[in-house]
Amino acid sequence: MEFNLEIVGVWFLVLMTLSILSYLVGDNPFYKISEHIFVGVSAGYVFAITWWDQVWPNLFGRLFPNYVNAGFDLDLFYVVPLVLGIFMLCRLIPSLSWLARISIGYIVGMAAGLKIYVFMNSNILLQIQNSAIDFGKNGWEIFNHILILFGVISALIYFFFSKEHTGLIGKISKIGIYFLMIKFGASFGFAVMGRISLLIGRFEDLINYSSIEYNYATPMILVFMIIALGFWSFFTKEENKNN
Amino acid sequence: MKKYINKLGKLDRRLIFIIIGLAVLIPLLYPSLLELPIKIDKNTQIVFDSISSLEEGDKILVSFAYGASTKPEIHPMAISLFNHLFSKGVKVYIVSLWPESPIMAEQAINSVIESNLFNIENGVDYVMFDYKVGGFVVIKGIADNFRDIYKQDYRGKSIEFLPIMKGINDVTDFDWVFDFSAGVPGNAEWVQYACDPKKVKLSSGCTSIMVTDAIPYIESGQLQGILAGMPGAAEYEKLVYDYTLDQQNKNNKFINQDSEIKVGKAFSRMSAQSVAHFVMVLFIIIGNISYYYSRKNN
Repeated sequence: MEFNLEIVGVWFLVLMTLSILSYLVGDNPFYKISEHIFVGVSAGYVFAITWWDQVWPNLFGRLFPNYVNAGFDLDLFYVVPLVLGIFMLCRLIPSLSWLARISIGYIVGMAAGLKIYVFMNSNILLQIQNSAIDFGKNGWEIFNHILILFGVISALIYFFFSKEHTGLIGKISKIGIYFLMIKFGASFGFAVMGRISLLIGRFEDLINYSSIEYNYATPMILVFMIIALGFWSFFTKEENKNN
Repeated sequence: MKKYINKLGKLDRRLIFIIIGLAVLIPLLYPSLLELPIKIDKNTQIVFDSISSLEEGDKILVSFAYGASTKPEIHPMAISLFNHLFSKGVKVYIVSLWPESPIMAEQAINSVIESNLFNIENGVDYVMFDYKVGGFVVIKGIADNFRDIYKQDYRGKSIEFLPIMKGINDVTDFDWVFDFSAGVPGNAEWVQYACDPKKVKLSSGCTSIMVTDAIPYIESGQLQGILAGMPGAAEYEKLVYDYTLDQQNKNNKFINQDSEIKVGKAFSRMSAQSVAHFVMVLFIIIGNISYYYSRKNN
């Protein structure tokens, strides 16, 4: 049997995967531990990578170019984001938490301003333009265009609440519901496909790590977990009975 | 019969998990048991034809916006795309918009290098950049001024010294943009902030769950085809495999003649995917019939 860092990593990977999958039989200590590790590691990783890849080179690299050699020249304008960033952290001090509103206001305003134009352009104007029927195309394509146009209008009418959904509007909005249901069905189908793909990815890793090369990581940990979970459920049952 | 159907409708959910698990596991353990043909989807063909239309020396910006959780779906697409691009001598620029993306991009490029299929050099044939926080703000930055966002490559080397960076100032300097995404920022942000305003062509490879939201962009021509989840990856993998094999036989100057071309991973995963879908459809039908009977009885 060989032990090196890679094998330790593989054993940990298998343990974490099986611990997460163990939730299928119910909430248990393995699942809880792996969930906490996942949250902690994710937060730590994102913090570290954000600091070293973004804040350090892009902000301090511009404010202290001689000290942080990131290829930028001195740019004192970057004092503004530094101050806004400090204001954001002021949320942690109750007496100064109002300062964070300035930073949040800037972020919301900037994001809204950027979004309005691009959304109008790409998601409304261009989509309306492309919903128009092109009579220069062949029969099936014209039929498709008509169907799409009708689907768009009927689904929009379903969300039109200024008039009661009776008569013609009621009928069209009902057709709109069917179009929406087809869309939700397709989304659900794709979501299922995505989840199965993830399961395939996990199973592939578990199969790969079942070999002697990794000291039978998957079967060993699986057996250990089944025994441990058996003991755990037995003792918690006893505890519940006593309580 | 009714009794059995009612019983099936009350199956323990753990039993259903086990059956679905086995439906995935068995085809993975014994891939030769079931080999289903793969039909190429229209959208995959559009992506393949679009990338095939690129020529030697053209530049493509590849955006990585996925992580370990969605790796099985998107990673095979990334490897196939790199194989396709390097077999045509296209210059590849890789940016990362998710924290885990640089790892994914590095793994994808390393698997291409390890295949020994191409003689590619970092900084000449491809370049990788670090993860940048900000999502759509980074995309907007790339669209307006690439050099303001990235000063160094992934290894910390100044872009001024990289031959591949000559003439790259904003997104319009690229002949194509390719987005691999599993959420936000993803293909929608690339359409809205970079490719629509700057009129640069964009294709995407994304997770299955994003496909229905991306379809309107394809219908309108804002997106040139899409690789939809694992089936999209398998179809594209097959097309690229056939293409590189054909090009190797034709002595393509970018492909090493003595290297073996292997089929990617998505192709072999499709049997498991199909069997699992079949079982799920079966359960949905049984569940509905059982529900119908139980409602009728009540």
